[in-house]
Amino acid sequence: MSSIIAVGDLRKHFKVYRHRRGFWGALRNLATRQYALVRAVDGVSFEIQPGELVGYLGPNGAGKSTTIKMLAGLLVPTGGDLRVDGRVPWRERRAHVARIGAVFGQRTTLWWDLPVIESLDLLQYIYRIPPERFRHNLAEFRELLELDPFLDTPVRALSLGQRMRADLCAALLHDPTLLFLDEPTIGLDVVAKERIRQFIRHINSQRGVTVLLTTHDLSDVEKLCERVMIIDRGRLLFDGALDALRERFGGQRELVVEFAELYADVAVDGAHVARQDGQQVVYRFERNAVTASELIGRLSARYRIRDLSVREPDIESTVRRIYEERLLET
Amino acid sequence: MWSAIDLYYRLIGAQIRAQLQYRVAFLVELIGQAMATGVWFLSLVLILQRFKSIGGWTLGEVSFLYGMVETAFGMMDMLFSGFDPGFFGRQVRRGTFDQLLLRPVDITLQVLGSEFVLRRLGRILQGAAILAVALALAEVRWTPIKLAYLPVVLASLVCFFGGLFIIGSTITFWTVESIEVVNILTYGGSEMMSYPMHIYRDWMRRFFTYIVPGIFLNYYPALFFLDKPDPFGLPPFAPFLSPVAGAGVLAAGLTFWRFGIRHYQSTGT
Repeated sequence: MSSIIAVGDLRKHFKVYRHRRGFWGALRNLATRQYALVRAVDGVSFEIQPGELVGYLGPNGAGKSTTIKMLAGLLVPTGGDLRVDGRVPWRERRAHVARIGAVFGQRTTLWWDLPVIESLDLLQYIYRIPPERFRHNLAEFRELLELDPFLDTPVRALSLGQRMRADLCAALLHDPTLLFLDEPTIGLDVVAKERIRQFIRHINSQRGVTVLLTTHDLSDVEKLCERVMIIDRGRLLFDGALDALRERFGGQRELVVEFAELYADVAVDGAHVARQDGQQVVYRFERNAVTASELIGRLSARYRIRDLSVREPDIESTVRRIYEERLLET
Repeated sequence: MWSAIDLYYRLIGAQIRAQLQYRVAFLVELIGQAMATGVWFLSLVLILQRFKSIGGWTLGEVSFLYGMVETAFGMMDMLFSGFDPGFFGRQVRRGTFDQLLLRPVDITLQVLGSEFVLRRLGRILQGAAILAVALALAEVRWTPIKLAYLPVVLASLVCFFGGLFIIGSTITFWTVESIEVVNILTYGGSEMMSYPMHIYRDWMRRFFTYIVPGIFLNYYPALFFLDKPDPFGLPPFAPFLSPVAGAGVLAAGLTFWRFGIRHYQSTGT
């Protein structure tokens, strides 16, 4: 199968000019412009297959947005290869953007002062969506995104969640094969987030739309994506299944043990006691140092155990550990 | 071509529908504009009472210059609202410009259609009123050529100021701090062109002849309409250069604009 996105050694470097202060500084700025080279994206390679739903993670300024902007045809790369659905995005902007959808969480593509439905009508015209296709899609999205209560409301009067739903609808009316989502759940409450996640899952599984999603909210990734890519300082640190990420960098797992009676000393080799609450003890242990069954063996040799369970660390702490400890630095 | 006009028409239609929600703002601007124009005219009357003329030009003749510039600038300000450097700079900084780039239609047409300040009608009407008063006071001897040429000069002025707006907007791709410099060219330029060019120093007049050819868009056509001699000795066809100068500045603006977009796509902001 040929990939829908193929990126090879993609680079984007910016010159950031230094401003010297004061009168003499301003004069010197005119004479010699000093700049620092920022490698926003610095040799990134990956492929995405049609129908995938991929999470793209990274701290602020890691290069996520720059990558998405290049994929969407807004920015021209400094170097490397970039093909999306067989096209070089920046070289054929109009043909490219006609086949993709994009939602940048902080901004809206809708007309600020117009009712939502009028914006959608304009988009039908701009994307030349056949009328029956438009009606069919709009009917489906109205139901899935529950747009009806605010379809006639001006965009400026919508809540953040409503606006995001309207923007998602706007990005998908022209049946794009590929959808870029930049922070789609930012600033939303739990219920609104869940509704949007359900919708993303739906268009991915039912319509086969390939989705590339950047987010800060790791529960988005946990609930939606099977594959994650992690970028930091312009370089791809990890690209693989979510499970593999946990496996490799999961770090500390927890073993929760409920003893049959109260023991004074519950220490065991290979793990430390994180919490003790009566007969219930929580141990933490390194994934790579000791297996859960070894620990359980050591414990049950000395104590009587009533119940136990193993907790996997959540993706959030995993990723935080990767950033903080720079586990992937080469 | 037709699809471009149709798209423009729809985008503008959306802007107008949106603005009709703000009737109060419309009225306030209309009244404010009427007062500004009235004050300008009154001050001109007072100056001329004392000094009799400005560089030898009477009240009617100077008002002709002002009326032409005001009418044309108002029309340009409405048609090219999307290219107003202040407005456009904000669009770039907020990322709204990126949203336009994400749509599969011509980017220039979209920027033109991204704003349409209907309230500028006020300025156009005031300018037209002053122009009417000027034409009555100056006792223009009308000929068929003059009658036909007047709208051409107005259209050329619109293109001229539009070109300056586009240049100003394009500069915001590089720096937003220079907006003031751009405003000097557009607003300052329109102010300067409201008075007879021979009252200014040589270097200023040369600037508006050879660098930014504003002199051919208002002063020289005025010499023709008012049957005045040319103090600078340019060829006799100089008053008829206004369509060339207007179209030229607009074309230069659009060329710079395309270059600016390429720069923007290679650097972002």
